[in-house]
This record gives sequence, structure tokens and C-alpha cells, in this order.
Amino acid sequence: MAALKLEQICKRYGAVQVIPDLSLDVAPGEFIVFLGPSGCGKTSLLRMIAGLEEVSGGRIEIGGKDVTHAAPGQRQLAMVFQHYALYPHMTVRENLAFGLRNIALAEEEIDRRIQEAARMLELDALLARKPGQLSGGQRQRVAIGRAVVKEPALFLFDEPLSNLDAALRGRTRLELAQLHRRLGATMIFVTHDQIEAMTLATRIVVMNAGRIEQVAPPSELYRRPATRFVAGFIGTPGMNFVPVRRLADRQGLAAIELPGGQELLTRVPAAVPGSELTLGIRPEHLVTAARGPLPAQVEMVEFLGERSLAHVRLVDGTRAIATVAGASPAAGELVQLDLVMDEAHLFDKQGLAHHAVAQGAAA
Amino acid sequence: MTPMLRKGWFDRAVMALLIVLAALWMLPLLWVLALSFKPNELLMVRTDVFLAPPYTLANYADILQTSAVFRWLGNSALVAALQTLGVLVLSSLAGYGFARCEFPGRRWLFPLVLFGLAVPSQSVFIPLHRLFSDWGLQNTYAGLALPGLAAPFGVFLMTQYFKAVPIDLEEAALLDNASRFKTFLRVVLPLTLPAQATLGIFTFLACWNDYLWPLVIATQPEMYTLTRGLASTQTNFAQSEGLGFLMAQAVFAGAPVLMIYLFFQKHLVTAVAGTGRS
Amino acid sequence: MSPEIPSGAKAAGRARAAVGLRASRPAHALFVLPFVAVYALLLLWPLAKGWFISFHDHDLLSNDSFYVGFQNYLELLDDDVFHQVVWNTLRFVLISVPVFVVLSLMLALALNRPGRLAAVLRAIFFCASVFSVTLITLVWQLALMPERGLVAQGSAALGLPQLPWLTSDLLALPTLALVTVWWIIGLPMMLFLSALQQIPSDVYEAAALDNASRWRTLTHVTLPALKRTVALVAVIEVIRQFQVFPQIMLMTNGGPNNTTRPIVQFIYEQAFMQLSLGYATAASQVLLAVMLVGVSVQMWLERREAAQGVRR
Repeated sequence: MAALKLEQICKRYGAVQVIPDLSLDVAPGEFIVFLGPSGCGKTSLLRMIAGLEEVSGGRIEIGGKDVTHAAPGQRQLAMVFQHYALYPHMTVRENLAFGLRNIALAEEEIDRRIQEAARMLELDALLARKPGQLSGGQRQRVAIGRAVVKEPALFLFDEPLSNLDAALRGRTRLELAQLHRRLGATMIFVTHDQIEAMTLATRIVVMNAGRIEQVAPPSELYRRPATRFVAGFIGTPGMNFVPVRRLADRQGLAAIELPGGQELLTRVPAAVPGSELTLGIRPEHLVTAARGPLPAQVEMVEFLGERSLAHVRLVDGTRAIATVAGASPAAGELVQLDLVMDEAHLFDKQGLAHHAVAQGAAA
Repeated sequence: MTPMLRKGWFDRAVMALLIVLAALWMLPLLWVLALSFKPNELLMVRTDVFLAPPYTLANYADILQTSAVFRWLGNSALVAALQTLGVLVLSSLAGYGFARCEFPGRRWLFPLVLFGLAVPSQSVFIPLHRLFSDWGLQNTYAGLALPGLAAPFGVFLMTQYFKAVPIDLEEAALLDNASRFKTFLRVVLPLTLPAQATLGIFTFLACWNDYLWPLVIATQPEMYTLTRGLASTQTNFAQSEGLGFLMAQAVFAGAPVLMIYLFFQKHLVTAVAGTGRS
Repeated sequence: MSPEIPSGAKAAGRARAAVGLRASRPAHALFVLPFVAVYALLLLWPLAKGWFISFHDHDLLSNDSFYVGFQNYLELLDDDVFHQVVWNTLRFVLISVPVFVVLSLMLALALNRPGRLAAVLRAIFFCASVFSVTLITLVWQLALMPERGLVAQGSAALGLPQLPWLTSDLLALPTLALVTVWWIIGLPMMLFLSALQQIPSDVYEAAALDNASRWRTLTHVTLPALKRTVALVAVIEVIRQFQVFPQIMLMTNGGPNNTTRPIVQFIYEQAFMQLSLGYATAASQVLLAVMLVGVSVQMWLERREAAQGVRR
């Protein structure tokens, strides 16, 4: 039974349809991240799951129960808000107890849960203080504590790390991952930061303009992005996109002409539709070499320590980023770029990805 | 802050002028205070010797014994307290309702309430007076205090304040299974204490200083509020024979308000500056 | 506790607004009900009733009331006393409001500075407004007493002529206007102070870097930013002073020779002394109409300034 089931969810604000038709199944224990740029609908979706926003169409099921029209408090979930939303005039203990008292839980039970959460999140010393007396990181732990004591079936996180400074963010990411392992709970996390998504998620839901572009574990998203949007969104620096001209297929695989005139046989099956194609290849798979199919001119070299990146310009003016192998070229120098063919994908006019098939594997 | 604060003769001249102006401003009040310590007989003849002796506390003694000032003070205090309490409760509830709740009819109800802001009390006091006499509320504390509860100003103020409370607190409370009323009482209301203080002081003072309504609704002297009672003593006789007494009475009447002012100065100023009305 | 809605609800189109804070429930109306009940009963109903009565001839003595249509209003139109009364009120407003605006603005500009001295001065100018009107009238009646009053004594000491402040046809109304200004100057002053404090300091810093003199800064930075507040203060004071009553009634009782009697006193006397309720309520409807015009102007001004944004 799915922990969370979204069926054909649609969301309208007046005349504007923000989410047209969205379905998703979440298994128990998963750490799902809704990832996407601002305005893609990820926060709306989260709030609809929480019951803070009305659903324009579709169904939401939590633990097998239809909660589409249920009150937020009745959905067996807890939420950690972006700005924590702690009750400023109550102590930490009262903040944690408030929700539990409202459902008439026995005082001993309330105390037990608070104690356990406080221990888990290192809040023991802070229980008597008010939120105004706490640091940002402490407040966040209280917000998480408030969710934990409810012992919900589903945890919702609304961009919880965006208010923290960089150092704290890294540490909190780790703590969240540990919390997930410890509780074994199902967690839904919203962020626009792909690094957070990649490090925390079991599966990532990449969203764009109200639609799901791809749902996949982080590694698959990285290596086999389903659409151009996903390919460009995931990874820093982003994937290179080079417009190419299609040539006659050979050996059942698509062939292309690169800027600079060189013909290249890809490892993408010839079933790719259309003749307007874009080649997608990540910087780490595009390498400077003594000889290679793609000529380019170096504009700038970035020294990053463990590697150097060359910002280059191709013959047709397209900009790309390549990894430097060997000696660093100078700015203005002409170089040849070699491609790792197993990771050179083609994108059609609709933005759909057609992946290279590894040599030796079935087409 | 205006950074036009360069020191110089212009600045000093302006400040000096202001000090003089302020002193002149205070003069009538100080004059009354000074003369309240002078015997009536002396004042019948001349009033220019206010700094020199003789001094006397006789006027104040008289007040304590004969004047109805205490009764008036008590009435004013009670009525103002009742009205303030009533306004705070009604305005908080209604303010929250209009700021955060959706219910059928809200769309036209709120403008209807705002309309009341434009209606001066002088346009309704006559029919209101008829209504209250029909109900037998003349010369009662209820009669004095009730009309002030209908003023929409408090609702207007509280609506603005409630709207400023971050909404995610209420969403958190919603997720915490708190009922709407519980959210209002335990989560949102405690965060509006400054507004409550402001509205409270404002209402208290407005009620304390009101003249027209107590004038028409309280015809028996023992129900007079301070404003009414004080006005009733301003006869020519009093001015000629009992000048010192009158002065002392004025001091007596002004002292509580002055103390409230000095105490709550900050809140009062916020009230006025933030709302632009009196 | 919010009840659970059964899952049978159709999910087509817009489902019943059932979740979230914006869910519309009749029970929410209970929050506003107490106030609205009081408001309807003690403000709207008398308002309507007054409107109703103004179309009747209602004698309080005999408690007789019969419908007379617009007759009360026509009588008001013809009534010389009413004309005088409206003119008095208008004069009062025309004298007091400019003084209010200019003086409070100047005080605010001068006192908008940090430091103990400025704070004390602000408190002094504001102080008078907390006292009740009857206290103020008492104080000033005494101060304006001929011969023994403070003003009389002061004039004598300075060698100035003794003027019949409250007893002269010409001087009575201006005197009352000035007393009113003395009393409540603090309030518009505070409005200006608060508006001044909202001007961000970097605008001044930019002006300083632009070598603007104090006068130029005042006229090109400060005053333009205050335009809206000036309009607001002016309209607020017009509205308030149109309702002037206690200080006039207590200090001059409308005299001498009806030169100070304001509209509200007229209404009061018609109702409680002449006991003709219909006539009184008709006059109060006229006052209400004037008020509504004033408030509409105020709102129009606010909306216009907001739409135009910052000029210059």
C-alpha cells in the first residue's frame, strides 16, 4: 500500500492552471524530493498534500485513506515550515505539546514523546526557552521536533534549509538524512536546490511548470535524464547542449554532424525521431585531447583544484564547458575535444532524451 | 530621522524658540495649578501673585469634603473601564473574523462596518437617546458605556493587526489540530498584545473625555461623568467667589489622565500615529 | 475541531471549499457576530431611524409624530439661524485647519530629532490633547477672564491692549479656534512625525552627496514625501472640526449673537430644548452628508496618491 498516492491532481488559481494533471505513488519509507525552479508548483503540491490548499481536481490518499477533503490535522502528517512557524509566545516544550494536547493525548504520553524527541534532536536544554531566544539552527530543530512528536505517517518539509547559512545547511542535511534512517518514516521534501535533492532523496520528482518531468533516483536522473529540462537542471556545471545535424543512420544507430564538420556515429539507437537534434554531454565527458572530433576555441580556464574546466566556443558559436586533460590550454588556444560516447545523448525537438546504449548491451 | 541636524546658530535658535513656545504652551495649565494653592478670598481680588505666598491647601480640603469630583471620577473610571473591556473583546473577535476567516456574507459585511467609520456620533445620538430612554437605560452605567461599543474603529484597527500576523503560524496550528477558536485564543491573540494595549488606552481616553453622550444620557448629577460634572461647575458664581476651588477641581480632574499619559506615553503615540484619528 | 468531509465528494472541477484556512464556513461568522449585532443595533438602526424621523414632525412634548416629507429640510434651507450656524462652522474650519496643518508640520519638522530635549518638547505639545474638553474649557475660560485671567494679566504686563476675547462678535470664533489648536495640536503633529520617520535616510544621504542645501532638501526631498500626509491631515481635521461642539458651547454658548454656534449645538438644542425631533434629525442628516463627502474626498485622495506613487 502506498504511503501517499496522488491521482490526477490539478490545481487552478482562478483562470490560471498551475498544475494540469499530476499522478504519483510514494512507497512507505521513501525520501521523496520535489525539485524544480520557482513557480513550478512544487510548493502548491506540498500544501495540497498538507491540506492547506484546496485541490481543484483529483484525489489524495494517505495510507490508503482518501484525504482529499480532510482537515489538515486529520491526515496523519506533520509539516516543517520554511520559516519554522514556531509559536513565539510559547516555550519550546509548549510548542511541542500544543498539537498533542489538541488531540487529547494523555499527559504522560505527551511528556514521553517530548522527551524522546528532545533527546533525538538535542533539545533538552532548550525546552524552557522561547523561540525568540534560539538560534536559527535551534529553531529548525524545534520545528522538526514538533513534527516528530506527532508520530505521523508522512513528514512534509517546505524548503527547510533555505534559511540557513551554508555551513549549517551542510550539517543539517546530514542530520536530516540520519533522522530519516532512524525513524524510517516517509518524507516529502521540497527544494529548488539540486544538491540537496541529490544528496537526500531516494527518488526525486523533477517538476517544471506544474508537470512532472521525471521521477527517478538521483543517479538515474543524473545519468539518464528523461528530458532536456532535467538534463539541464541537474548537475553543476550543467550539461552541454550542442545543436547538431542528423546524417543517415548507420548500424542501427543515429549519426550526426558536429559543428566543425566532423561526422560522428553516436551510440543512440536510430529510432530517434526528427532531424533537428541536440547533443547533450556533460562537461566531465567532454575532454580536451590531442585529437578529437570537435574543434573548439578556449575562452577561459577555471582551475578548481581536483580538475580544471575549459570554457570553450565551438565553430558555430555554441558555448560549452569541457574538462581539461593534461596541460591547461591558454585562453584563445584552439583545441580538439573528445567525447565519451556512452554518455553522449541526443535530445529531439520535443526535448525528450534518447540515451546512448552502452557498447555491447542490447539496443 | 532628518539628518538636517548640523549644529549651528540656526538649530540653536530654533530649539530656543521651541522651548519658549513649549513654556508658553504649558503656561495656562501651570497657572491653574499654581492658583489652586491660593485662597479663594485672595483670588477674588487679584490673580497676579501666583508664585509668592500665601499658599493653602484649603481648596483641596474642600474638594475632599464637598465636591462631587470623586463621584464623577468614579463614574468616568467605571464607564471607561467597561467600555474598554467591551471594545477589546468585540473588536478582537471581529477583527480576527474579518482578517482571517471566510464565511458567507463577509464580502459585504466588512464594507458595511467600514462605512460606520464615516458616521459621526453627532448624527446618531438623538435616535440613540430615544432608543435608550425607551429601554430605560437613561442614567445607568450601561447606558453610558454601550454606545461606544458600536464604534468600528477598534475592528478596523484589529483587522489590520491580525492581518500582519504571519499566516504560517495559523497553518501550523491547523496542522496541530487546533480549532479555529483555539487558534484565535491561544496562538494569534497573544501576539497582538501591543495592539490591544494601544486600542485599550485609546478607547479608555476617548470614553473618559467624551462630552456629548454623557450630556444627553445622564441627567441626574450622581451619574455625571467627569466631563459633565466639571462643566456643570462652570458658573459665574464659581468663577468669582470660588476661583481657587475651581482651579483645584481642574487639577483633580486632570491628574489621573496626566498620570495615564505619562505612564503609557509610548503606546498612546503609537495609537495616534498609526491610525491618524482621535 | 474541523470535521472530516466524507470522501464521497465528487472531484470534478472546483470541489467544495473545504480545506485550508480559506475554507468558508458559516461558523466562522460567529467571530464577527457579537460586534455586528451591537453595531447594527446601536449605530445602523439609529442611523436609519434618524433618517426616518427627519421626514416627520415629531414633537417630544406631545410625543406626536406625523409625516411631513421634505418639509424639515426645506425649513432648514430657509432657516437663518441654520445658515448662520453652518457659516460659523465653516468659518471655524477655515480658520483652524490651516493653522493645524502648518503649525503641526513645523513642529514635527523641528522636533524630528533624537535626544531628550526633543522628546520632552514633543511630550509637552502632545500633553494637552489627553485632557478632556471640559477641563480645557475650564482652564481657558479662567485664562481668558477679563482682568483676572492669565491672558489679561499677561497683556497688562506686556503693555498690550486688553481685548474682549470671548465677548466680541469678531474675536470669539478665532479665539475658540486657537484654543482648539492649542488643545489638540499634538495629534496631527504625531502624524507628521510618523510620516517623517518613514522617509528612508538614504534619500537624505543622496541629497547630501548632491550638495543640496537645507532649504533645498526641505523643499525637494522632505515636503514632497509629505504631500500625502498633508492632504490626509487636512481632511481629517476638516472632518473633525466640522463636528466641533463642547468647547464652543461651554465657553461662549454659541454667542455672542450667534456668531460661534456650531452645527452640532444647533442639533442638540433643537432636540433637547426645542424638542422638535424631526427638525433636529434633519439637521444631523445634513451633517452626515457633509461628513460622507469629506470622507469620500479623503479616500479618493489616498487612492490617487497611492496610484501615482512617488512624484518628482
